Amino acid sequence: MAAVTHQAQAIELGGSRSVEAASDHELLAAIRDGDEVAFQEIVRRYRNPITNFVYRMIDDYDRSVELAQETFIRVYTSASRYQANYSFSTYIYRIATNLAISELRRRKRRKTISLFSPFTNDDGDAVEIDPPDLNTLQDETMIENERRRAVARAITSLPQKYRAAIVLRDVEGLSYDQIAQTLNLSEGTVKSRINRARNLLKEKLSAYI
Amino acid sequence: MNGCKYIRERIDEADNPNLLPFEVAEHIAECQDCGRFAVERSGLRALLSGGTRVNAPVNFDAMLNARLAEVKSRSSFWWLGSVGYARIATATAAVVVMVFAAQFSGLFSTKTAVPTSEPPIALVPDAPTHVPSVRPPEVSIASVPVVPRSNRGYTNAARPRRDAMAASASVPIGYFTAEDGGVVLVRGRNGDIDVPVPTVSVGAQPLLYVSAGQRTVRNVGSSF
Repeated sequence: MAAVTHQAQAIELGGSRSVEAASDHELLAAIRDGDEVAFQEIVRRYRNPITNFVYRMIDDYDRSVELAQETFIRVYTSASRYQANYSFSTYIYRIATNLAISELRRRKRRKTISLFSPFTNDDGDAVEIDPPDLNTLQDETMIENERRRAVARAITSLPQKYRAAIVLRDVEGLSYDQIAQTLNLSEGTVKSRINRARNLLKEKLSAYI
Repeated sequence: MNGCKYIRERIDEADNPNLLPFEVAEHIAECQDCGRFAVERSGLRALLSGGTRVNAPVNFDAMLNARLAEVKSRSSFWWLGSVGYARIATATAAVVVMVFAAQFSGLFSTKTAVPTSEPPIALVPDAPTHVPSVRPPEVSIASVPVVPRSNRGYTNAARPRRDAMAASASVPIGYFTAEDGGVVLVRGRNGDIDVPVPTVSVGAQPLLYVSAGQRTVRNVGSSF
């Protein structure tokens, strides 16, 4: 992908073009020039996807909000070093992924033991005990809530290296190419990890498929 | 006809599990296992992507702006932090270099040189290998003979306080009193060896390693 020249993309916000119409690269160029409005627009575009992504990674809403804010702070403070060799979404997801993985490692060091996953596999990752509940639930909301919790638990129980790939692909809908760039892996490795993660999830969520 | 492994890879890689390529659709129409695999994958992906998405809280921007303002205020003093750290690092490195240089130059050295001559020294001759149970006769410190300082093996300049002490205690300058050291027992040999004894704390007894064959003495510590 050809490098984009920042200078050529620099925009004058408040001029004829609106902020909403500017591309991510143009907004980054404006942020580098100290434009706060451009930064607010970037935040508006990505705050929900990033928060949702981090939440799916760590399954902790309050912490995911903090990490999403940290992601934007890093975007702002390192705007001068940003190189538009690939899409901005890849760049911001990479920051968020690194923060989420750091958080998971920190939690792993703390040796917290979940009631749902008191055991670990050979990789040291939590193995969830999630026996299927064959009883019929009466309330639709309860069913939906139970399904959502089951999906969240299943994702959380995945090994860390599979988790980021499957969330980026099946939850956030990124392409294999974008995931490969975000995780700094080859596309083949990404495909392999996603396939492996889906096989694991299929076993855990068989009652809901 | 393509193999099942290839077809399943294509099913996995499809952007939309409900819109499969023609060759895949053709295969799963005939292969029940691959058809089942496609249904499972489609259901799993729907389950993962269909869940409720969480959104950022309404005060997300306000919280972010507050944190960003804090970061900006910190970063405006970045030069202070970096220069401060650099100064501390430089000072630490300088101290380390000075300490090493002083050690290599012998400033802190406690090594004693082997005397070239054989001066007289107060040593207990031929300490017995079996210690008798009788109490040894008490020896007054004052009765221990003094040793000429010139034979000690280190310079007078390193011990300026000794001269002052000797002068004030009516001991001839350049001489060495029993208070400066302890009694040295040399087992199995009575040699005339100058044993320079390092200064020790009050109540401590210097521990010396005496190699009678090579006529060297080395301080190995203190005993209380």
